[in-house]
Amino acid sequence: MVIGIKDALKFIGISIVVCCAAFVCTLFLNYNLDLKSFGNIPDAAIPLYNAQLSMGKAIAAISGCGLALTSVVLLVFYLKNYINAHGKQLGILKAMGYSRFSVAKHFWIFGLSVFLGAAIGFLAAYLYMPTFYRVQNADGLLPEFAVRFHFELLLYLIVLPTLAFACLAVLYAIWKLKAPVLNLLRENCTKTIKAHKERDESFLKGLGSATLKSKKLLIFLIAFSAFCFSSMVQMSLSMFDLASETFAWMILMIGLILAFMTLLMSLSSVVKGNAKTIAIMRIFGYEYSVCSNRILGAYRPFSYVGFVVGTLYQFALLKIMLGVFFADVDIPVYTFDWKALAVALFAFVAVYELVLFLYAQRIKKLPLKSVMEE
Amino acid sequence: MIAAKGICKFYGSGENRQEVLKGVDLNVSDGEFVVILGVSGSGKSTLLNILSGLERADSGSVQYDGTDILRLSDSELTKFRKAQVGFIFQQYYLLPHLSVEKNVRMGADLAGNRNYADVIEAVGLADKRKKYPGELSGGEQQRVAIARALAKQPKVLFCDEPTGALDEGTGRQILDYISKLQKSSGISVIMVTHNQNIADMADSVVRLNSGTVLEVRENGKQKSAYEIGW
Ligand SMILES: Nc1ncnc2c1ncn2[C@@H]1O[C@H](COP(=O)(O)OP(=O)(O)OP(=O)(O)O)[C@@H](O)[C@H]1O
Ligand SMILES: [Mg+2]
Repeated sequence: MVIGIKDALKFIGISIVVCCAAFVCTLFLNYNLDLKSFGNIPDAAIPLYNAQLSMGKAIAAISGCGLALTSVVLLVFYLKNYINAHGKQLGILKAMGYSRFSVAKHFWIFGLSVFLGAAIGFLAAYLYMPTFYRVQNADGLLPEFAVRFHFELLLYLIVLPTLAFACLAVLYAIWKLKAPVLNLLRENCTKTIKAHKERDESFLKGLGSATLKSKKLLIFLIAFSAFCFSSMVQMSLSMFDLASETFAWMILMIGLILAFMTLLMSLSSVVKGNAKTIAIMRIFGYEYSVCSNRILGAYRPFSYVGFVVGTLYQFALLKIMLGVFFADVDIPVYTFDWKALAVALFAFVAVYELVLFLYAQRIKKLPLKSVMEE
Repeated sequence: MIAAKGICKFYGSGENRQEVLKGVDLNVSDGEFVVILGVSGSGKSTLLNILSGLERADSGSVQYDGTDILRLSDSELTKFRKAQVGFIFQQYYLLPHLSVEKNVRMGADLAGNRNYADVIEAVGLADKRKKYPGELSGGEQQRVAIARALAKQPKVLFCDEPTGALDEGTGRQILDYISKLQKSSGISVIMVTHNQNIADMADSVVRLNSGTVLEVRENGKQKSAYEIGW
């Protein structure tokens, strides 16, 4: 069959996201479970005890849910892309008479990318845990307690997500393979084009909107990654005001890794998705800068929309979460963090333009023939 | 005037290394119609790609009026292609998300050609202007590729099997149109084909065999697209 372990490795973006989620959740949930197993806590430590329990829950919930959602979106996007790119092979199998399920069942292998990420995150969390416990109890208010392994976490954070994602991949493939054989065999974007009115304008003028219309998924991806970038970076930066410095640094590191990963991945999808058009235009003698402005530039406004929505989202999420989990704990009132917004916006613009610039250098060096024949 | 000398091209590495072109020499004067014949896999498409500056040869030179295009930088090559060459590819390479008209305008706009509608009409696609490549038959797609290259009003036209997907009638019509354009605007045409008969239309015929030129034959008397066999 056409799908192998190698293909699952291409979903490394998901592995990384899942790895971060598993790391954070394992760390905090394990700590909370150990903390809860205490019989009697000294009176002086009760506020700290409560605060730590709430903090653990809040962080595990925010990062767990947020990242799980991110990975579901990424998985669906990747699968859609994969099926588009391999439409010919899948279509041929279907045309030869393989049933939908017999083709789709091989998609379980994409669950492996989740397993890989979750397992690494889980292991890393247990390696870091002794240090974490020491930092959490730096003032020595709580009695000494050792790290204990909780089997249920293994089940919830590795086994179940892997199974869930494997099932999701297979179900999604079954659904996508419902398409008629010919649609799978043909080039992916030709089938969906409706007879929309094309205005009588020059080739270059209409190019941007036609490009956007042909691959709507990419618009979504770019907006989504900008959304993730803006919300993750701002949320991580806000942590410095809300939580202890160790937490804040840890969250910031994770937030930054994820933000860069998603943005990088979506930009590379956009560039790859349009590489052929750019190659053909360059063969005819259009300069790279013209192609890039018209085609890649068309996505830029959507990235800013995503950024704005992400800003609002993280503000609302933090406000609500802090309200729910810290209702009875004394922490500073959370207000909108303008400084974080400025930093995030600057980082976003810089990364976005830098990545596009680097891609431009790479595309320019590629032989035109090789781009077209992919 | 195009003068190619000692063109060598390798593909692959190690055991898979294969010399696809083994020192090919070729001269094409302005306004000449050259046909390249050869069996499948003999290196015809590779030669076209190199002559047109799409691919770089591993050694040798390709001079256009004394300028070696293999020495040009990428941006100079782009300018060169914009000013000089048109392509009709074996695999068409249309832009699937643009209509027939837009695909043709991609070539026409580069040359500032406002009469692209005439070209579309000449290849018999006037009523399919607003369709998308995915909605066309193979031969119709090939004709879009032809119209796109011609609308660019190139000085040199490279055609890789331009009539491979066409029936006899349509094929003759297209060849007739190309050869009339070649004569009226004095462009050079370099055409790869499997159809031996088309060679009768050319000024000269180059036979390629596993990467070497077997013979170059001047045609005494050219036939028109309607006189050749099929
Ligand atoms: N990118 C590539 N990598 C490796 N080998 C290649 C590549 N492109 C072409 N070849 C090899 O070079 C040889 C010549 O290819 P080319 O496409 O020039 O043949 P052709 O004469 O145009 O054949 P046809 O008439 O079938 O189109 C072939 O044997 C092919 O296998
Ligand atoms: Mg060929």
